[in-house]
Amino acid sequence: MELGLGVRNLDGHAVVDVKGEIDVYTAPKLREKLIELVSEGSYNVVVNLEAVDFLDSTGLGVLVGALKRVKAHDGTLSLVCTQDKILKIFKITGLTKVFPIHDSVEEATKQSG
Amino acid sequence: MVNVELQIPARSPYVGVVRLALSSLARTAGMDEEALDDLKIAVSEACANAVLAGEEAGSDEAITVHWIEDGERLMVDIADPSGSPPDPDAAELDTGGFSSRLVMSRALLETLVDSCEIESVPTGGIRTRLVVNRPAG
Repeated sequence: MELGLGVRNLDGHAVVDVKGEIDVYTAPKLREKLIELVSEGSYNVVVNLEAVDFLDSTGLGVLVGALKRVKAHDGTLSLVCTQDKILKIFKITGLTKVFPIHDSVEEATKQSG
Repeated sequence: MVNVELQIPARSPYVGVVRLALSSLARTAGMDEEALDDLKIAVSEACANAVLAGEEAGSDEAITVHWIEDGERLMVDIADPSGSPPDPDAAELDTGGFSSRLVMSRALLETLVDSCEIESVPTGGIRTRLVVNRPAG
């Protein structure tokens, strides 16, 4: 089980394209990548979850941790997700009120930061 | 009645193995994909909590996942030798005002299956019992 992580820059945002399953095994890899981006000075981050098949509370914990880091620099962290099974996880845990969730990367980069 | 028991090392790479086995068992049992997605998350949560509790306790005792299927329901018991029952007095929010991971995990466990019971085991640790009722007929 591998987690694919790609980073690109778009309209002043660091876009992290995540592919695969985010669970207790793979979440630390995502955490490392997000910490690395913030420590390099990327404070407006978009995490694209469109190619994510599975997400649990360990992945949510990593996203919340990253949100706190960017906010400490007055930055933003938004998500891209249209899959019902992933959106459901954010709804159940109340995180739809915490993260801006967009339908596309383009929309996310236009509406944040 | 179908009984399948799976024992995994209390280490994070094996939680994905449980999901694979669960998918296969659920499809064999005729479970629909949406119910399977929900059950996969709930079982993963219980296993992740067990792995993290084991890491914290410095224990390498195995985690046991027991699938029990009868005509009326599917039951998955996760025996976590290092876990503790949820503390009702624990802080719901962390220092930043966000829900802690364990609170989010509990919300998922309680919402995604028909019943979730977490009990202390006399020999140590906890047992999480997840139940999915099967549609009549």
